[in-house]
Amino acid sequence: MTQQIIALIIICFFLSRLLWQKQKKQISGGEFVFWFFFWMLAAAAIISIKWIDQLLAQLGFSGSGIEMLFYLAVIILFYLIFKIRIRQEKQEKEITRLTRQIALKNKKKNHVKR
Amino acid sequence: MKIICVIPAWNEEKNISSVITAVKKQIPEVVVVDDGSQDNTSEQARQSGATVLKHIINRGQGAALQTGNEYALTKKADIIVHFDADGQFLSREIPEIIKPLRKQEVDIVFGSRFLEKKSHLPFSKKYFLLPLARLVNKFVLRVDLTDPQSGFRALSSRAAKAITIEQDGMAHCSEIIYKAFQKKLKFQEVPITVIYHNFGQKLGGGIKILKDLLFAKLMN
Repeated sequence: MTQQIIALIIICFFLSRLLWQKQKKQISGGEFVFWFFFWMLAAAAIISIKWIDQLLAQLGFSGSGIEMLFYLAVIILFYLIFKIRIRQEKQEKEITRLTRQIALKNKKKNHVKR
Repeated sequence: MKIICVIPAWNEEKNISSVITAVKKQIPEVVVVDDGSQDNTSEQARQSGATVLKHIINRGQGAALQTGNEYALTKKADIIVHFDADGQFLSREIPEIIKPLRKQEVDIVFGSRFLEKKSHLPFSKKYFLLPLARLVNKFVLRVDLTDPQSGFRALSSRAAKAITIEQDGMAHCSEIIYKAFQKKLKFQEVPITVIYHNFGQKLGGGIKILKDLLFAKLMN
């Protein structure tokens, strides 16, 4: 019970940070909705942890609900890192393309000046 | 035939002038791609008679070579030679590299440190890094050349148009070989000599190349 309360307090802290960031317009609407649902889902999972325990037992898993949530969190984190890596790679390529265009354009401009 | 030599350079103010002077004896048209140097590389290159393209930020050797290729193609080059700015290649070997292209026998020529000529390779490179790179090329990219990471090469305009270098870093060497195989370009390996100073790819660089290649393979 105490652990659940601590987890809920942490979630409340992150939700308040999220609302603060939204108010300061530091994040977009889409991002706000994603993280809002993410934390609400996390809170729902914490509240209904006993039900998840029972469900997992019925499905034949030996681990507890909190263990399963932990594994799930690790999987999600790996997925998010992968997504970020892809996005970063794309941005790197765009920066290179831009740098190249500037180099070629400047050369052309200097050539015309002469 | 119009031949342009592309030299990517990053903070090479000490070597660039002598490299350009030596290359110009073989190829009059030299293009230096200054890859965001913070020293006087651009100035030195310009004073030595090279055309200078300046990347405003450092993007890596592969990115600089692609910029050079694109520029050379706009200048209607028939043959593009890739040469390093650090003085480790011998400019007198340029005619040997471009000879098969002049005869229009092949589309691309790769310099190799592992054919007749003997380069004094550092121990770790000879017995660990390059054999490992060869294995990666063979089993990951399914290409097999004697030298997996040579930066001394020459391309016909057809090859330069067919191969777009997307690997900004040092993985471009393997990428060019891979794409030459993939596009079924005719290629040849020519023996070259490499003079090693106290630099070059270390183990960390090798791991980065491997990581870049595997990630690119995963993405495609």
